[in-house]
Amino acid sequence: MEPSQEGAASDRDLMARLAGGDREALAPLMERHYPRLYRIALSYLRNPDDALDIVQETFVKAFQNANRWDGSVEAGPWLSRVAINQSIDRWRRIRRRQATFTPLAPGDHESALADGAPAPDARVHGRELHDRLAAALGRLPERQRAVVILRHYREMTLEEIADTLGMRLGTVKSSLHRALGRLRTGLQGVLEP
Amino acid sequence: MILPHLRLRRRVALLAAGVLDGRERDETRAHVDSCSRCQREYDGLRAVVGAIEADPLRSAEPGIPVSVLIDRVEQRLDRAAAARPAPAVGWRVALLAAAAAAFALVLLGTELLSRRAPEPTAPTPVPVAALPADVLDRLEHNMARAHAARYLSEAQDVLLAVAATEVDCDREDDRVDVGEAPDRSRELLVRRALLVEGRPEAVASAQAVLDEVELALREVADLPSCVRRGDVERLRQDIDRRQLHMRIRLMTRELEG
Repeated sequence: MEPSQEGAASDRDLMARLAGGDREALAPLMERHYPRLYRIALSYLRNPDDALDIVQETFVKAFQNANRWDGSVEAGPWLSRVAINQSIDRWRRIRRRQATFTPLAPGDHESALADGAPAPDARVHGRELHDRLAAALGRLPERQRAVVILRHYREMTLEEIADTLGMRLGTVKSSLHRALGRLRTGLQGVLEP
Repeated sequence: MILPHLRLRRRVALLAAGVLDGRERDETRAHVDSCSRCQREYDGLRAVVGAIEADPLRSAEPGIPVSVLIDRVEQRLDRAAAARPAPAVGWRVALLAAAAAAFALVLLGTELLSRRAPEPTAPTPVPVAALPADVLDRLEHNMARAHAARYLSEAQDVLLAVAATEVDCDREDDRVDVGEAPDRSRELLVRRALLVEGRPEAVASAQAVLDEVELALREVADLPSCVRRGDVERLRQDIDRRQLHMRIRLMTRELEG
């Protein structure tokens, strides 16, 4: 998880400096973990603006709470945990707003995402698959969704997911099993197995 | 055939997810090859994994360079540091200081308006003791209502999270994991006690809703982390029957003015 950059301070060193109030240590941590944390938040929330905001909040919290980091987990998974928890909180707020006001149509929340330029038929099918996948992910319970994101968008092992989400390994396995089953149901008609 | 099929069903999903290895993977692979139903299940789940792997979000690049991100985070930290209250200042002292500052601003505004050619003048420090009692009373009243509104909103978050939980406990069937909801309920109940101690008359109109929310939070606080699905469903139905979420929303708006 931790990048090995010759001559550069390790994540552990940087976290220790942050815990001592040294803000200079934040920039190298951001350079290392920014794209990864962005993709975690983006995969969960499917909105680039929200994802950027979550990354900023994650680093602000990393600085403010660095003294609570006890070194039992590496900085990367610790930051991932902060980012995914922030994403879950943001998702709850979005869901509450949708429940109180007008619900968004599937795909509205990710209108800012650019798609590629395949042939028209493929593009229509690809767009439909993309929208259906987004909708199916959106219907998953929060932690099942987090497990899918960390496994299939960030390629974490089950043990890393358990550490990141603070879940038992067995719970991670059953969550992944159930989530894939639900996604399969949600994608019926657009998938040709 | 049925027993191994049931035992291996979860493993078929894990095989499709690519997280099995060694003997577990080989056993499951062999079972899938010999069971047409499992083969269909496996193919279907592999198609799901394929759809996820084709999602362009997996490799999306952030829209701003890291230097801009660093600037933004620095600005947020600066703002947070500037807004942080001085340590060891009680809320009553903070309230008095804020009230004194507000009162001083009103005096300053009045003075500036009365002058034809305003000169930059420093406000005369106003002793806290000089703050009119009715101004202080109104500030305390408004603050008590704001606290109550925030308490209700956070309590609603907890109740919604419990009702929506679908994360199964791994050790027992038909039980769900309610996570930190019992702990959060206990924290909120401590705050509830402070609301009553503060300005009860300021939140008198919310008394009925506060009482019902307290009862619901007590039920959640007593839950173990791994709860029978039926118990969560009964709690949810009880909350729905009392239309508690709607009443919380209406009362929160009223308290926020």
